[in-house]
Amino acid sequence: MSQRGSMSFKEVAAKYPDVPRLVIRKIDAGLRGVAMTDRAMERARESNSVFEDEGEPGGERAPWKLGGGTFRDGSSFLGSDFTLIGPGRPALLRGGLVPYSLDIIGEKLMLVDGEEPVEEVYLDTIPDYYGKKTSRGTPMHHIVHSDSDCLKLNPHSYCQAWSEGQPCKFCFATGRRRGSQGPKTDADLEDIYETVSEALKEPGRWTEMHLVAGSDPAGATPYENEANSYIAVLKTLKRCFGGKGLPVRLVSSAFPEKTLVRLREAGAAIVGPNLEVWDEKLFEWICPFKAKYFGRQYWIDSLVAAVKVFGRGNVRTQWVGGAEMAQPYGFKTMDEAVASTLEGTEFLARHGVSARLNILRVRQDSAFYGQKQAQPSLEYCVKLSVGIRDIRRKYGLGVALSDYRSETTRPDVDLSRLDLPDVVA
Amino acid sequence: MASIAAATLPAEVISLLKDRASLKILATTDGQGNPHAVVKGSLTVQDDGLLVYREAMESSRANANMLRSVWYDKVVSVLVVGSNGHAYQIKGKAHRYVISGPIFKQHYLEARREEGPDSEVAGVWLIEPVEVRNETFSVRKEEEDKKHPHMRHFDRASVSGVAATTETPTLGLGVI
Ligand code: SF4
Repeated sequence: MSQRGSMSFKEVAAKYPDVPRLVIRKIDAGLRGVAMTDRAMERARESNSVFEDEGEPGGERAPWKLGGGTFRDGSSFLGSDFTLIGPGRPALLRGGLVPYSLDIIGEKLMLVDGEEPVEEVYLDTIPDYYGKKTSRGTPMHHIVHSDSDCLKLNPHSYCQAWSEGQPCKFCFATGRRRGSQGPKTDADLEDIYETVSEALKEPGRWTEMHLVAGSDPAGATPYENEANSYIAVLKTLKRCFGGKGLPVRLVSSAFPEKTLVRLREAGAAIVGPNLEVWDEKLFEWICPFKAKYFGRQYWIDSLVAAVKVFGRGNVRTQWVGGAEMAQPYGFKTMDEAVASTLEGTEFLARHGVSARLNILRVRQDSAFYGQKQAQPSLEYCVKLSVGIRDIRRKYGLGVALSDYRSETTRPDVDLSRLDLPDVVA
Repeated sequence: MASIAAATLPAEVISLLKDRASLKILATTDGQGNPHAVVKGSLTVQDDGLLVYREAMESSRANANMLRSVWYDKVVSVLVVGSNGHAYQIKGKAHRYVISGPIFKQHYLEARREEGPDSEVAGVWLIEPVEVRNETFSVRKEEEDKKHPHMRHFDRASVSGVAATTETPTLGLGVI
C-alpha cells in the first residue's frame, strides 16, 4: 500500500470544512507530487522561472530548479521540498499515487487534478545571483541555495549519521555521506560572503535564512564541531549584514546550554534541533544516530535550555508527520499516532518550544523507501496540522523564519497565519 | 454577488481610487464576524479593475482577515472618499496575495521611494470588486428620501416648507 487511508481531496475537504481548501490542496499535491508538462516548462522558461543547472559531477542536484511558485493565498508551492516531476526528474516517491500536473489551461498556469484544473499557480523568477560566480570561480548557486524567499546554506555538508550507516530512516540526503569533513576554509567563507552579499542586492526578495549542517557529534562537548561550523558562518554573515542582527535560523543538532549561548552571541536568531518523532521507542528506531548521540532526553533538555537562551518562540523542532505510523513498530491507528505527536507538541509548547510538522514523503534513497513504508493519508495530515496549530495557538507561539512563504510541506505553518496577530515570533 | 468587470467600475470611482488625496478605508471581519477598519493609503485600482494595496505588516489583523477572505470566500469592503466629499463603497473579495514576482517588486520599490529605506511590504493584496455603491451623502439622502418619504421630521424644508430651525438649543446649565 502506498498511502494509508483512501479519502480523496473532495471527501477530506467536505469532512473538514474549517480547514481551507487551499491548504488541503497543498498537502494533497505534496503527497502525490506534481508533474510539469512541456507547456508548463516552456512557460517557466519564458518567465525566467527555471534555472537549468549543469549540475555538479556526481552530485545529487536536480538538472533544473524552479524559482518557486505560490498559490493565490501567497503560500509557497513547488519549493525545494516538493516532489516535482519532469525532464530528468523522475517520480521519487514510493509509487502508486497519481501525481497532479502543472499545465497551461487557457492562458493560465494551472494545477490539474486528473482532467480538472483546480488552482492557478504563480511562478517566481530565479534569483538574480543564480548563474553568477564568486571571484574564485565558484558558481554562487552551489554555495547558497534559494527556496522561494529563503536563502539556505550548509555550514558543512556531511552528516556523520550517514557515515556511520545510521541515518534517520526517512532521510534521503545521501549526498551528506560524501560531504567534506570539518568547518569551511577561509576561501569557502569568502565564497559565502560574496554570494550572500550578491543575493542581498536583489530588492524585496529574501525574508529568511536557514543554516543546515548535518550532524557531527564530535568535540570536547556534544556537537562542538558542528557548533564551530555554524559560528564560522555566522561571523561571515555578520559582515554581509553590516553588524545588524542576523535573521538566521539554525537547523542543527541539539547543543548544551553553553554552546547555545555561543551561537546566540554569534548572531543566530532561532535554533531548531529536530526531534522528528515524539514516542520514545520510535525515536530510537527511526533516529538511531540521535538516540546514540546523546539520547532522546538529551535532545529534549537541549530544546528546553535553548528557550532560556533564545527566548520563547525562538526555538523550533519538527515532527516528520507519518513516520510514527511506520511499521512494524509504529502506531496502528491514526488517533493513537496523532495523540502521541500532540502530547509531544504540548509538552514542548509548555516550555516555549514551537513544534512544526514536516510531512513524511517516502523518498527513494531513504531506509523507509526500502522498507516499502506507506505515505501518510491526506486526512491524517489534516488532523495533525490542525492539532499542532491549535496547541501553538493555545500557547501563543509563532513560526517566524520558517513560514508559509518558503515552506511547502508544513501545512500547520500555513494554518498558523491566522494567529499571527496574537503570537510571539 | 457577481464580480464587476473592470470596464464597468464607474469612471468616478476609478478616478477617486487613483487620486492619492482620497481617503481609503479597508473594512474586514475576523473569525467571529467582528469588524476591523484601517486606512490604506496605498490602495488604488489596476488597469484590469482589481483593487490593489500594499500590506506593510504580515502580522496585522487586517492581513489575517484578508487571508480569511481568500480562504473562505468572505466579503471585504473599501470606502473611498474624495477631497470633494464624493464617497463610494466597493465590496469585494480577496483575489490574491502577491509576495514575489514583478507585481510585488514594483510595489516594493514604490514603497521604498515613498516611505524611505525602512519601509516594509509584506505582500500586495488584489481585491476583486463585486459591488459598488455611491455613499456620497447628498446622493444617499435623496435615495432614502424617495424610498422612505414618511421617515422624516415634519419641520424639514422638503416636508412642510417651513423654515427649519437652525438655533442650537441651550443645554441645561444654569436653568435650575
Ligand atoms: S541528522 Fe538525520 S535527517 Fe539530518 S541529515 Fe543526518 S540522517 Fe538526515
